[in-house]
Amino acid sequence: MSLYGVIAAFADPEALTEAVRTMRARGYRRMDAFSPFHVHGLADMLGMRKTRLPWTILGGAIVGAVFVYGLILYSVEIDFPLNVGGRPLHSWPAFLVIAFEAAILGAALAAFFGMLAANRLPEYYHPVFNATSFTYARGGKFYLLVEAADPKFRKGVTKGQLTRLGAETVEEVEA
Amino acid sequence: MAEAIAGKPGALPVLRGRHDLPEISGRISAIVLDGRLPRYFWTAFFACFVFVLIFLYSITYLISVGVGAYGVNIPVVWGTMIGNFVWWIGIGHAGTLISAVLLLLRQPWRASINRFAEAMTLFAVAMAGLFPILHLGRPWFFYWLLPLPNTHMHWPQWRSPLVWDFAAIATYASVSLMFWYMGLLPDLAVLRDRAKSRPAQLFYGILALGWRGSAFHWARYQTVYFLMAALATPLVVSVHSIVSLDFTFAITPGFHSTIFPPYFVAGALLSGFAMVLTIAIPLRWAFSVQDLITLRHMDNAAKLMIAAGMIVIYGYASEAFFAWYSGETYERTMMWQRAFGPYAPLFWTMLACNGAVLQLLWFRRVRLNMPVLFAIALIINVGMWIERYVIVVTGPSRDYLPSSWGEQSLRWLDFGILFGSIGTFFALVFLFIRVLPAITIFEVEELAGERGGAR
Repeated sequence: MSLYGVIAAFADPEALTEAVRTMRARGYRRMDAFSPFHVHGLADMLGMRKTRLPWTILGGAIVGAVFVYGLILYSVEIDFPLNVGGRPLHSWPAFLVIAFEAAILGAALAAFFGMLAANRLPEYYHPVFNATSFTYARGGKFYLLVEAADPKFRKGVTKGQLTRLGAETVEEVEA
Repeated sequence: MAEAIAGKPGALPVLRGRHDLPEISGRISAIVLDGRLPRYFWTAFFACFVFVLIFLYSITYLISVGVGAYGVNIPVVWGTMIGNFVWWIGIGHAGTLISAVLLLLRQPWRASINRFAEAMTLFAVAMAGLFPILHLGRPWFFYWLLPLPNTHMHWPQWRSPLVWDFAAIATYASVSLMFWYMGLLPDLAVLRDRAKSRPAQLFYGILALGWRGSAFHWARYQTVYFLMAALATPLVVSVHSIVSLDFTFAITPGFHSTIFPPYFVAGALLSGFAMVLTIAIPLRWAFSVQDLITLRHMDNAAKLMIAAGMIVIYGYASEAFFAWYSGETYERTMMWQRAFGPYAPLFWTMLACNGAVLQLLWFRRVRLNMPVLFAIALIINVGMWIERYVIVVTGPSRDYLPSSWGEQSLRWLDFGILFGSIGTFFALVFLFIRVLPAITIFEVEELAGERGGAR
């Protein structure tokens, strides 16, 4: 059993935000925060880069639309051209409807699976679940985890700093 | 801290009373985890289950005997199946509106009702999706609408609204499912952590995908959730517009009208909000969550109903006006026959329900009186079904050839399938309330946190 890090529980989002800001200022880099709901700006403070997911979603939309429009075009122009009273084979206003639906479907699939992939979910084991103070639901608490891999990490010092920042409990997390 | 939650004085609060986070998640998840639901819940469920069996029997009968078994025949070949389809898909749309459009508009009151509204969408779409298939002469060939390689070397007719419809409904069902599941993820993690029994921990644990509420996860989650909402909004409008194109692309009198897409979308919202109230009013009473689903929600839903309803009334007026203004004999005759012909009783009932009864919602006292509001919601549900049915049957029944005029006859099978689908829908809603949290835990917690009601 090796040490994964130290987890501190705070009573409210403001205390957590304050703790994150202070710890970042002290030079800690490998930290993660946990909360029962989205706390605005927390990820930025933890040094998260701007997510590229919106581009993934746009890509999904384009792939969906192009694929379906291409399929339709292939079917009416190459595979099964059917001349009905000289009407154009490429009747784009009618084809745009399905292409639009395909764009939405492609974007939604990219959004859903892109979110899971970027968050590396499903991930059924994570060391943070070993902490007895950490339950995602029961306490309604806000947690800050400092990883032992952080270059600034010194077990005793880090625990003392977290306690002085107003943590209700500070606990070691086994990997 | 009720004042802080209420916002400006005189306004109805979104949440009532003071809540802390464990209390909210505990109360909502206890409905699922303790599993001790009141006896009337199961009584109601089994009443619905009887209708599930009727539904299964009716479908089996329909498939084994053929579409002649219910009352469609030349000239009215679109009957209750198409009416049911349009009605159910419309009901689904209010759920997406609540979850997506109100999210984008940052309306805090959506938080406690969006979960079951989305579930309602899913189940309504599931019901709706069955009807076009049951309407086919040979339902087992429905997959011919898909562009699959086959020995006939045929492709679907891409220029047909029926194929668009298939694409739209399939997309809508998939996107609704993903949006719903994504909203469920954090709540499934709450259930996983609160569950006492091993099977429940495994069940919710596997579904929660290991969600742990990391700040990095939340940031991506929030970005994607908003973008999904932004995608769902045009999708909803496009789905019901395409449904209406099924009608308008035909030159049948009464179908061939440009008002149809917006008129159908507004009708969808009206019937959808009526269904939201039909479910929410008993739900908040049965589980004593009047402080989470407050009168504010009921009031706002009723206001949206009257907004959508007035557009529907404009649609009725516009249909009648343009039938007359077009100068077309057949259009005029059809409109006259709709109002004074064999379907006149249904037509005037529809106007009484969706036109007259709706006007009661202008009064605040009516909107805040739950029994009356529930009754109005039921009446609107009925009125909207009649509207769909009247639109579907009156056109073909008064076609271009007076010698071939005729009406649809309703058989037991029409009613078996309609009421069977309603029972199945509610049975699914009951199961959903039993298995998954019907109120979004994390959004209500966030709301309580923001409003200073929690620490």
